[in-house]
This record gives sequence, structure tokens and C-alpha cells, in this order.
Amino acid sequence: MALLREVYEALEDIVGPDNITEEPATLDSYAYQWMAELVTDVTDGGKFFDRPEAVLMPGSTEDVQAIVKACNRYKLKFHVFSTGWGPWAASPSEGQILLDLRRMDRILEIDEQNMFAVVEPYVVAGQLQAEAMKVGLNNHISGAGAGTSVLANACCFQGGGPDVIYFSSPQDSILSIEWVMPTGEILRTGSKGSDLGWFCAEGPGPSTQGVIRGALGGAGGWGVVTKIAMRLVHWPGPAQMPIEGTVPSYKAQLPEDLFRAKFPAFSSWQDFADAVYRIYDSEIGYIAHRQFVMWGDELQAAFLNIVTDSTKQLCDLQELLETQDIQQLTEEMQRSFQLILVGMTQRDLEYQKKVLDHILSETGGWNIALVDEPAIQGYVLLFMIKLCFKNLNFTATGGFSDTYNSVASPDVWASGEIEAGKKLLKKYAGRIADAGDQAMGPIGGQGGGGVTGWEDFVFYDPYDPDSAKAAMEISDEGDKLKAEQGRPPGGMLLGLARSTHADEEVRAKKLSKSPEYHWQRKLKEALDPNGVGSGNYFWGAEPSKEGKK
Amino acid sequence: MALEDFRATVTRCSRCSYCKWIPFAHVKSWRFAKGCPSIEYNKFQSYSASGRLCASLSLLEERSSYFDEGLVDIVFKCMLDGCCDVACKVNRYDFEPVEVMRQLRFKMIDNGCFPPQDMPLIDHLRKEDNMMMEPKADRGKWAEGLDVKDLTQEKAEVAFHVGCRASFDEELWRIPRTAVTLLRNAGIDVGIMGRDENCCGGRLCDMGYRGEFLKYAENNIDAWTTAGVKTVVTTCADGYHAFKRLYPEELDFKFEVLHITEFLDRLITEGKIKFSKTVPMTVTYHDPCHLGRRGEAYVPWKGEQKKIRGQVLVWEPRKPRYNGALGVYETPRNVLKSIPGIKLVEMERNREYAWCCGAGAGVRERYPEFSSWTAGERIEEAVATGAEAIVSACPWCERNFTDIVNERSESMKVYDILDLVREAI
Repeated sequence: MALLREVYEALEDIVGPDNITEEPATLDSYAYQWMAELVTDVTDGGKFFDRPEAVLMPGSTEDVQAIVKACNRYKLKFHVFSTGWGPWAASPSEGQILLDLRRMDRILEIDEQNMFAVVEPYVVAGQLQAEAMKVGLNNHISGAGAGTSVLANACCFQGGGPDVIYFSSPQDSILSIEWVMPTGEILRTGSKGSDLGWFCAEGPGPSTQGVIRGALGGAGGWGVVTKIAMRLVHWPGPAQMPIEGTVPSYKAQLPEDLFRAKFPAFSSWQDFADAVYRIYDSEIGYIAHRQFVMWGDELQAAFLNIVTDSTKQLCDLQELLETQDIQQLTEEMQRSFQLILVGMTQRDLEYQKKVLDHILSETGGWNIALVDEPAIQGYVLLFMIKLCFKNLNFTATGGFSDTYNSVASPDVWASGEIEAGKKLLKKYAGRIADAGDQAMGPIGGQGGGGVTGWEDFVFYDPYDPDSAKAAMEISDEGDKLKAEQGRPPGGMLLGLARSTHADEEVRAKKLSKSPEYHWQRKLKEALDPNGVGSGNYFWGAEPSKEGKK
Repeated sequence: MALEDFRATVTRCSRCSYCKWIPFAHVKSWRFAKGCPSIEYNKFQSYSASGRLCASLSLLEERSSYFDEGLVDIVFKCMLDGCCDVACKVNRYDFEPVEVMRQLRFKMIDNGCFPPQDMPLIDHLRKEDNMMMEPKADRGKWAEGLDVKDLTQEKAEVAFHVGCRASFDEELWRIPRTAVTLLRNAGIDVGIMGRDENCCGGRLCDMGYRGEFLKYAENNIDAWTTAGVKTVVTTCADGYHAFKRLYPEELDFKFEVLHITEFLDRLITEGKIKFSKTVPMTVTYHDPCHLGRRGEAYVPWKGEQKKIRGQVLVWEPRKPRYNGALGVYETPRNVLKSIPGIKLVEMERNREYAWCCGAGAGVRERYPEFSSWTAGERIEEAVATGAEAIVSACPWCERNFTDIVNERSESMKVYDILDLVREAI
């Protein structure tokens, strides 16, 4: 179904002929997404979601506004993305146009004194961080890594990550925004709404912080946020990260009197949970994450050995797993996480180290000695501070999804859920990678009152239909187990992918267990009377009867 | 391997966009964070490595056609500079974006789909054996007056290969003339093919013309074998990549291959080249893509992909990795640093994640505006270092930089590394 020529020409008049396309291979490059091989099982099959009718690249807020108004005029749905990674970036159904915001890529301002930055949608976290560090500041980077949009992570997705213990959750860092609403009106919120600058979310202009972000953001179906001001935090390190080493095993040696990476480890999950509480209560730590278990607790030690040595390859994995050193380290890392201590002064770091030692002594924990080796220290600091290797999630098999996720107070680490998730994955070992527990997540987020949790990854091969099918079966079985406990379904990534792409059953499950989605749905219908903003998890391809009540 | 053999690869792309940026570990600013000229200039997703992998799958699944309007532009408007490949492999260890893009080009050409602007170039090549639209008879003019062996008549241990660009671009003749003079003065038994030198074919291969590439490769190997050559030296990064990587991949190839900077570094270390003059200048070095990240030596390998631990993908036996780690980066820098008075400052994007000069894979000929834009970006990066000059080690890079500097009336000077060596001796 091609666009009517009248509609195409109207859109072309807005962005110019170089910034709109209907070329089939280009449209397919937008329909291709990670997880399509899972989700399209329930629709059409293959690696491609529905093709958009056209892709447009607006260059300004005015362009976006004109496009949205045209969509209202022609009753044409639009979907929008910033960097476009993930199934939620693909057009959720046929008959929609897609807005690729890559031309809107400027850092408009870094206010050093008031510690915030104003950016457009295509500024990625790694870029902003490089500029912020030059003036002694740093920005939150989502768990998805340095290559993802600052703006989208803050107001369109969950967007949390390893640094929330110090930086707080991204929704807490949103200041003023500029939002082209689904009707085409432009709303500038917070202080910017009264033309007083970008520094404040809550006024003296209108505050829509809760509305724009809600529980999980609009995922491309909630109008277009065209500018955002985000809070920054202190960075006591060098203006430029000192990178050394050979690709891909880059490392950063930072001043030892201000930076230290630690691997706290524990002999029981109860000790682990107790330590998490204490670390949060003690207000130490710049970044705290159970990170390297993203390779699975049974493979993480071997993978860490591979990625820190540029001569090693994946084919070394089996041999490494058979060595005594790696087996011991695997055992030691089983209940561990990565903690980056950053002192604003030397005394501050010394204090944090002493507090950590005290917590470890009281909880029976220890710091895994490996992390004190300079090469590992340099790699871990670089990994965690720049989040520049986050795509290593895909290294083992080419694809991953998630299943038995949990978000709760630190007690959840000792609740038996880690073992339950691992048991579930073991049941499917062979059809998915046999890697053990893959519960990766942040240790504590201040904004959420110390909330912690994890994503349970599932490594599957996108090229192997049975492996992909297993990933879906695990998701369903995980949801069933959760339902038996009276809890909402897990699998944030896969759940969002499935519900965005017209899996009504999954969407209904989410809505039945998560009342906040009902409110977002109602707000969406109020703010988007023509339904031109596209579908996502709280709003299907078409407005539901439930949503219209 | 053919495009069809990469179906698994193109299905496993995570579409993460790492291929659009330099490795994130090395991002130092907003301005110079990008790694892929093609997507930066052309904007749409299909102009990234990931986008071309998606397009490949789309073609393999017959969702789109080789003859779709616009596809030629998507496939060929790219220098195949390989920054995408490096950035991808930081995380996706065994992924091969550049190899897929090469196979896609071969497939397009096999189907008769190529940029129409290629026609005169290829017609000329078939008649005159060069990429420069010049008569073959003029190929040896650059060496007139030089006292050097003619390998069509005599034997020599070392063959100096000039390449098409420096053979016919008179302003660049000083580069091969300096190289030969330095080698001769150092007592090296060196010869040239002169008028009978063939195109290396490397650029043709990157453009998608594999058949023509093989013809030239066979001709060159025959000629060197007849002349008793053991080592091939070149000043051209394209030629270096062709000889170091492409020839042994396709044919029986037993010659040592050295870029002139490697030879110079060796001669300087051995004391066979000594500098007597100071060259007071702050310079920045541009890593040619085909000498750096794409200049890694071919390593023979035969094996297969297997799965361990259920679904973990590994190659058995251990497969050589081409991720830019073993490109030629330090020897040109060593040469520069050994010249008295030279102060070397680095651009933000350097070594395996350097920004391309814009001339590669036929883009200079096919898409001159895009090529110039890419060179201009690099010059801006060089200017940002405070250097007075940008130095490269490839005549294609120098030509592209010189043209854009002249066009913009920039004060930045453009040199080949040999210019500075000559000045210091």
C-alpha cells in the first residue's frame, strides 16, 4: 500500500526530496530489526517487521510539527525513532510512515554551572559524555550503552542502567522538554514553558514529566520529543578518557587515587542482598551493576578472559572453560557484581573503600582479586564508565531476549528468583546457549528508593528457527510462573517487542497486571484524538474498546 | 564465498548502529564521533553497513530486486573503508560486514547492475589497463631519467609497484621517484615495470569487478615471477591491500609485500637512511584505510562454524580475525618521528578508526561530490589539531586532500610522507 501521491508530495514539500524515500531496500532496512525473528512468529514470519510506507528525516522541530499536522490532516499514522535500535523502532503495522530523527543531532547547550545539557534526539550518550567530561561533568548512560539516544532513553523507554545508584534513574533527570504532541501542537514544559531556560522540569511552566515518560515511555507512539534538558553529575576524572590497548580489548587507566573497580562477591544470596542494602544506605558507589553475568554465570569468567586479551577469540571458550583457573573464577563470580568507586577527592575514595571493606566484612563478602590486576582494572573501568562494549550481549549467539526479569527491593536477590530463572533456562539448554544464570541488572537506584533488579537474558541464534522458538517458549513459561505468583509478566524487552507488534494477548497481560499502562492509554487517547501516533505496548495498532472508556 | 553464503550473517546483524560510529571507547567529542562517511552523507539507514546487510537479506529473500531504482546508489556509494567493520567487531567478534558488502557488489555486477558512470571507466580500463583514463603508453613517463632496472628486461630482487594514480598524476610523480631513489641509494636491488606495469586491480575489486581484478592479479604475479622478484614494494595503499590481502586470498602468491613506509622504517633502523636536515613542522598523520585497518595480511584458513554450549558460535579451527588490530599504523609514525624537527600530533580519529579520505572503492570517480565532502571532513579534523600539514602514505589520499584544500583555499599543507623524508636527507 503506497502513499497517495498527494500525501507523499505534501510530506516531500516539508522535508525536501532528499529526506524522504519509498525505495524498497531502504524501507526494508528500517523493517529489519533484532527480535523480529521472534515476534513475527505471531504475525508474518522472517527477520522483517512491516515496511513503513515511507521514511522521512525531519531536520527541525518545525519540520516535525508540519509532518505531524499533515498526518492529522490525512489521518496517517506515524512512528518515530532516534537511533532506531530494537523492535520498538520498527513500524508497528502497515500503512504508517516512519520518522528517522538522525538529522536532529545537536548538543544545544551544556550548562556547566547548573549541571545540565540540552540535546536533540540523535545525540547519543557517548557523544554527550565526551563533551560533558571536558567540563568535569558526566551523564547517565542507559543499560543499552553509549550508542543510544540520550533523549529517547530518558523519556521514551525505561532507560535505566548501571549508574543509577549515583546518577538516579533517567526519568528523575529530565528537566524541560520540547514536545511536538500528537496533534501537532508544541508544548514546552517546565521552566522552558515560561521561556526561562531549560533548568527545571516542574515549572514555572507546565510539568508533564509523569505524562511524557509514564511507566515506560511512549516508545515512538507518543508524539515527538524534539529537545530535552537532562541533569548531569560530577566527573572528577580527566577531560578525556585515556584509552590504551589493542582493538577490541581497549582499556583505560584512570588515577588510582580517585577511581577503583571492585568485584564484591558473596557465598550466599542473602549476604549479597544484605550488602546491596548497605551499599545503597551508605551512599557509596558511582556505578554498581551485576554486569558480566550478561554472558551467563557459567561463562562470564571465560568471556572476561577473552574480551580483555586482544589475541583471544570465541573459539578459545571451550578450552578456557576446562582450565582450573577459569573454573575457580567462575565459582567465585557466581554471586558477584561490579562496583565502580569514584572519589570526588582522594579522601572521598578512601572513605568509600573503607565503607565497602566494612560492608564486606559484615556480610562475609570479599573483593575478587582478579579485578586488581591492572589490565582487568583498566578494562572494567572503561566498560562501566563509557558503556562502550554493551553489544557484547550479542557476541555468543547473535541474538538475545529476556524472560524472568525482576524489579523490586534488594530482598529480591535472596528470594530464590535467580535460581528459578536459571532452572528455567537450563530446561531449554541446547536450544538456547547453556550459560547459566543471566540475571544482569543494577544494584540500586536512588531515584527509585533503592530499587534493584535484573533482566534474565536468553541467548538464542536468530538464524536457527528452533532456537528462536525456544526463546519464545521460555518467555511464555516464565510469564506463566510469574502469573502463578500473582506477578506481572517479565521479559521487558521481548514483552515490549511483542506487544508493540500486535500481539494482543501479551498486551492484554501487561494491561491486566500493570494499571499504569491503563492511565497511559487513556492519556494517549485524550492527547491523540485522531490516533495518528502509532501503536506500542499500552496502545495497540488500533485504539481498544478498553482504552476508549 | 558468495552473497548467498552469508545468509546466516545477515540474519544475525543486531542493527545496533555501532557500525556508524568509531568504537565508542575512543569517542572524544561530538564533532568527530562518527565513523561511516556513507551514512553521514546519505543519511538513510540503508547507507550504513547494517543497512546494506538488511538490503542483502531483502534481496536474498526476494523482497526487493537487484533492479530496483536506488539500489545501485545504496550498494556502491561507499568507500568500503572498513571503519564499520572495526567498530562492529569490537563487540561482534566474528561478524564480517565488509565481506558481505563486497559480495553484494560482486552480485550486483554479475547481475549487470552498476553505476552508469562506470561505463567509460571500464571501457577505458579494458583498452588501456589503467583507472586514470590515460593512454597505457604514458604509464612509464614518471620514471624518465631515473637510473632503475627495467623488470621487463632485467631481473631484480625488489619490484617497485607505482600504481595507477601516481603513474599518471604528474603532480604526484615525485612520490615514486623519491621512493625509487631512496631504495637505490640504500643499495636495494630494485626494478620497475615501467610502461608495462599493470593496474593492481585492488580498487577494481572493491568496486565490484572481481573478474577484472583477477586478470590483473594473474598478470602481475606472472610478470614478477619472470623477473625473479622476491619482494614487492609500493607507495600506494590500494596496491598494498591488493598484494597483501587480496592476491593471496585468491591466487598462489609467494612474494613479500612491503609498503614504502615499512621499508623506510627498516632502512632508518639499520642506519641506511640518515637525516641531515631539520624539518620544523607540526604535522598530523592520516592513516590510509587500505594500509591501516584493511591492510592486514591474509592468513590461509579452512574450517567451519560450529556450536558449543548449545548455541554459542565458534569457528574451528581458530579463524584469523581481520579487525584492524594488525594494520600498518606505527611504521609511518616511526618514520615521521625520526625526522628532526617534525612534531606529530594525532587527529581524534586515528589508526584503526581513522576517517576515510573519500577516494576509495571508486567513489572518487563515481560520486565526486561525496568523495570531496568526505575529504573535507578529514581536513577539518586535521585543522582542529593545530597541525600545519596533513601527511599521508597513499597517492589517492593525497590527491583527494589536495583537491579539497585547493577548492576551499585552506592553508593546510598536504604531503606524502616521502616528501618529508626527502626534505630531511
